[in-house]
Amino acid sequence: MNDRLIIRDGDVDTALVAEYEATRRDAVKKGIALGGGVLAAAAIPTLLLVRNAMAQAGSDEDIVTGAVGLEQTAVVAYATAAKSGLLKGPVEQAAALFGKQEQEHADGLITALEDLGGKAPSPPTPEQVKGLSQVKDQNEILEFAVELETMAVAAYYEAHQRLQDAKLRQTGSSIMYNEGQHLVVLRQALNQNPVPNAFETGES
Amino acid sequence: MSHRYLQLRDPRSRRDFFRLAGITTVGGSAVFLAACGDDDDKGSGGAGGSGSGASKGDIATLNAALDLENTAVAAYAAGAPLLKGAVLELAEQFLEQEQEHVDGLTQAVKDLGGTPSKAKSEQQYADGFPKLQNEQDVLRFAVDLEETAVAAYIDAQAKLSTGELRGTAAAIGTNEAEHITALLGALGRPPVPDAFVTGKASP
Repeated sequence: MNDRLIIRDGDVDTALVAEYEATRRDAVKKGIALGGGVLAAAAIPTLLLVRNAMAQAGSDEDIVTGAVGLEQTAVVAYATAAKSGLLKGPVEQAAALFGKQEQEHADGLITALEDLGGKAPSPPTPEQVKGLSQVKDQNEILEFAVELETMAVAAYYEAHQRLQDAKLRQTGSSIMYNEGQHLVVLRQALNQNPVPNAFETGES
Repeated sequence: MSHRYLQLRDPRSRRDFFRLAGITTVGGSAVFLAACGDDDDKGSGGAGGSGSGASKGDIATLNAALDLENTAVAAYAAGAPLLKGAVLELAEQFLEQEQEHVDGLTQAVKDLGGTPSKAKSEQQYADGFPKLQNEQDVLRFAVDLEETAVAAYIDAQAKLSTGELRGTAAAIGTNEAEHITALLGALGRPPVPDAFVTGKASP
């Protein structure tokens, strides 16, 4: 299968594109990302934000704060996709469901964050979650969603290695599993192998 | 196709099969090798020793997971003759992935200085399985087993002592959750029913 990702020209920092391409090459090499696709350059900052949401975080509170931001971004992305008018039938229903589930993740994580003494970050505005404004058809939205969920899985995978609290790790697992399930449905809609990786991770 | 499954039931043939399959199996094991190498660096084990309390606990947790994975391999092999078309292809792929988990977990237990749990005989597994008469029976049984595995891997998050092993458990658990979605879809049920996927503990 061709794993070349085409990034359409757009207004985005070249360094960010290079960083994302390196991240994705890494993911392809490690077996998490398969298949090519077309991605708007404007989507790159959003995808990097998701990929790195928990990467710089040290304490459990920092990691959970990053996870809340990741989920809030996914909520906005699915809402934007739903409003695009490009999704049809089962795909439209799936996007609505997945957006609702991302919101449940965000709500659950905010409660956990508050229990840790933290404060939830403000959710991003639709204008801040770039990458869906120039999509042309349903497939481009699905490809964006696959990238988004793949970056989320990779972020949770890494978080499992650093979270100190066992209950937070277990919550992280239950969310990561759901993101993996989203990937199955999205890949099916793109006629890709729905479960290509025995170890669903962005790292080795 | 059933001939292939008969081959897979024989441990030696299965080894040969996965040696031929190659890359993914090696990749799967490599995850664990990396994890355990790091554990050794921390000096928790000691050369040839039985390991620290932490690694003994890890060995027990990994062996419990290994038992579930071996059961899943046996279940997909037992159910395959009742499947056809796209569902058979899915089951075939899932069996291979469960075997990759077996191979990875086996290596991880060995690297920790433990003795990996061995698979039971085909007959022993068959005696413990529900009666499988058609595709629906196989799919429902597979969902039950995968749900049990998901619950076990979440439980393991509270038990495993290294970040690397916890990450690997999460990566395997995600794959099992993905299997559930594909199986539920094949059953005509909602494929992603829960935002928090916690599985079901074995009865």
